[in-house]
Amino acid sequence: MELSEYVQKGFQMLADPGSFDSNAFTLLLRAAFQSLLDAQADEAVLDHPDLKHIDPVVLKHCHAAAATYILEAGKQRADKSTLSTYLEDCKFDSERIELFCTEYQNNRNSLEILLGSIGRSFPHITDVSWHLEYQIKTNQLDKMYRPAYLVTLNVENTDSRSHPEISFSCNMEQLQDLVGKLKDASKSLERATQL
Amino acid sequence: MLLDLSEEHKEHLAFLPQVDSAVVAEFGRIAVEFLRRGSNPKIYEGAARKLSVSSDTVQHGVEGLIHLLTESSKLMISELDFQDSIFVLGFSEELNKLLLQLYLDNRKEIRTILSELAPDLPSYHSLEWRLDVQLASRSLRQQMKPSVTIKLHLNQNGDHNTQVLQTDPATLLHLVQQLEQALEEMKTNHCRRVVRNIK
Repeated sequence: MELSEYVQKGFQMLADPGSFDSNAFTLLLRAAFQSLLDAQADEAVLDHPDLKHIDPVVLKHCHAAAATYILEAGKQRADKSTLSTYLEDCKFDSERIELFCTEYQNNRNSLEILLGSIGRSFPHITDVSWHLEYQIKTNQLDKMYRPAYLVTLNVENTDSRSHPEISFSCNMEQLQDLVGKLKDASKSLERATQL
Repeated sequence: MLLDLSEEHKEHLAFLPQVDSAVVAEFGRIAVEFLRRGSNPKIYEGAARKLSVSSDTVQHGVEGLIHLLTESSKLMISELDFQDSIFVLGFSEELNKLLLQLYLDNRKEIRTILSELAPDLPSYHSLEWRLDVQLASRSLRQQMKPSVTIKLHLNQNGDHNTQVLQTDPATLLHLVQQLEQALEEMKTNHCRRVVRNIK
């Protein structure tokens, strides 16, 4: 994992009991995770009375350094030994290393879910609705008397957060074709998971 | 059900007995062709010259035929009703027979053409699928994320439209289950009764 000097400096400050006592350290660490994982978090995350005595510039620096490191570790799926090694290099004492690793482990799942959801992909189908109608006539044609399906796929776009819908009509044979093909896909999926 | 022919329509059709049946048959062929492809005014002029009449007369004759055929096909009237409807025109038996045959031969195709005029929603054409496993992305390494990529082919107004979509295994199973239920619906008593009784 390659980290910038900025991050390293921030961590070195964080390691110093003179700048951050035990309590402040824990609070800052939690604040860093919260900023990343809590959708409602904002600047107020650093507004804790026990952090007031620390220079705001230092506070922001360390907070940013911690957040950057956490993201990088999450991205690379870092294990405990990788974390420990880096923190040791930054002169963290064993108590703080333990604390960091515990916090990281507790938040790891959420972090990985968050990171995994970033990125472009095709519009994602989330649901399907259908209705079945019996067509009787149109203004151009009488006595149609045939069943028809209207299928609507609910789709989600990862980036734009838009929820377009894809609707189409089909007759019975076409729907059977569609279902047949989707069943083939799911059987294939089942087989693949058994390998 | 009998066709209700307007005075103007009858006037236009009155041209038909004035030419021989080969010409009427040809007009019939032109009429169906125009329904398939759209009208071509040049044909009227050519025919008008050959028959020594105005091209308007020819046009009305052919359009009269087109209207007769489309109305009859739209309503899907029976042979008997068709014959009774054109009886009022006072044509010869030979001409009546010709018109009836023209109707019967072409009504299926005409109905297909008319059905294409209905409000058109995109309709299903076909579907391709692919199974993928995402291994990594810029923001997260060492993944094992299965997904199904689907290419949906739709038709609308003659245009072919493709959408590429994706879904996860759980949603795929859900889709299959929901759509199978949709198919099952047609087999229920309720739907069967409706289909049997609305005819």
